[in-house]
Amino acid sequence: MTLTKTAAVTVALAQAPGLPTVFTTGYAARIGAAAGGHNHFYMTGSMGLALSLGTGIAMHSRRTTLVVDGDGSLLMNPVGLVMAGARPDLPLIHLVLDDGAYASTGGQRSPGDSVDLPGWARACGFSRVHTVGSEEALAAVLREELRNPPAPVFVQCRVTSDTTAPPPRVTDDLEGITARFSEFLAPQV
Amino acid sequence: MLTEALTTERVDGSVSAVHDALTANGLGPYFGTPCGVLAPLLSLLERGGDYHVVAREDNAVGVAAGASLAGACPVVLMQNSGLGQSVNALASLVVPYRIPMLLIISMRGTAPDTTTENLAMGRLTGPVLEGLGIGYEYLTGAGAERQLAKAATVVREKRLPCALLVRPDEFAWKV
Repeated sequence: MTLTKTAAVTVALAQAPGLPTVFTTGYAARIGAAAGGHNHFYMTGSMGLALSLGTGIAMHSRRTTLVVDGDGSLLMNPVGLVMAGARPDLPLIHLVLDDGAYASTGGQRSPGDSVDLPGWARACGFSRVHTVGSEEALAAVLREELRNPPAPVFVQCRVTSDTTAPPPRVTDDLEGITARFSEFLAPQV
Repeated sequence: MLTEALTTERVDGSVSAVHDALTANGLGPYFGTPCGVLAPLLSLLERGGDYHVVAREDNAVGVAAGASLAGACPVVLMQNSGLGQSVNALASLVVPYRIPMLLIISMRGTAPDTTTENLAMGRLTGPVLEGLGIGYEYLTGAGAERQLAKAATVVREKRLPCALLVRPDEFAWKV
């Protein structure tokens, strides 16, 4: 039984509904956009910066922020782990969908075979680090971590690339995404 | 001795004028990466509670973008070599998503800095910002009050990124 990327996103959104959620570049953003939500930010470019973006959101809003990232993105710019891991009370869940490939550019292998991604997270200060590979395990980890006190949480989720066609590209109205997401984050008065 | 004393006074005045103007306009949080030119300003900002060191400039832009989405008026301080590092973060995130923030960028590779490794970014900083559509001007201690009030308006009300450039010797950096 394998877990597809789309199934992992579906489980994550069901377990963590309504959280500020950042989707990384590529199919993750497209899968997220197909699911839809005023609490979503689809980062269509700037590959590698999803965790940094989520860190800024979590730091300033103090709301638990979900970052749906990929192994390719994390390998491209692991510096985000340095900043997030150094903040023991940062309310952030970094969910890395690890399929070992760059799905949206044609499925080239990512150079991560020899890299211990959870080890990177631990080395950067993340004290709560998990590896999961099934819907049940992902759901259980997210359920538990959302009950725990805020901290930077790292979840490596082993997935397979989807075999079905990806959802369409995210709309070109990127300013609209900013406006809607900022409004969602604005403090309630 | 007299010259040195005058220089020190002018420099302290410029740094503190910029720092005062940043504070007066309610800007922040601040995300900084190392820079010798900006060092005196970074030292003052470090004493405040809302200064964060980031290991790489494009990550600083990314974190600032998140803070901006959450309602802050963030400031990213970097050397223009870091602007080179950050071009894609600005081109594919900050500009097309219209995420407001203030960039304070030191101008290595321009007079009086003649270090060869910085000359290309010295030439490219203005054209890169122009190509990105990010407005900029040179920050000075004498103009800081007016310049930062204007920058705060651009960030807060027009909801746009903008940049202030700092000459290598503005805060008394020496080759």
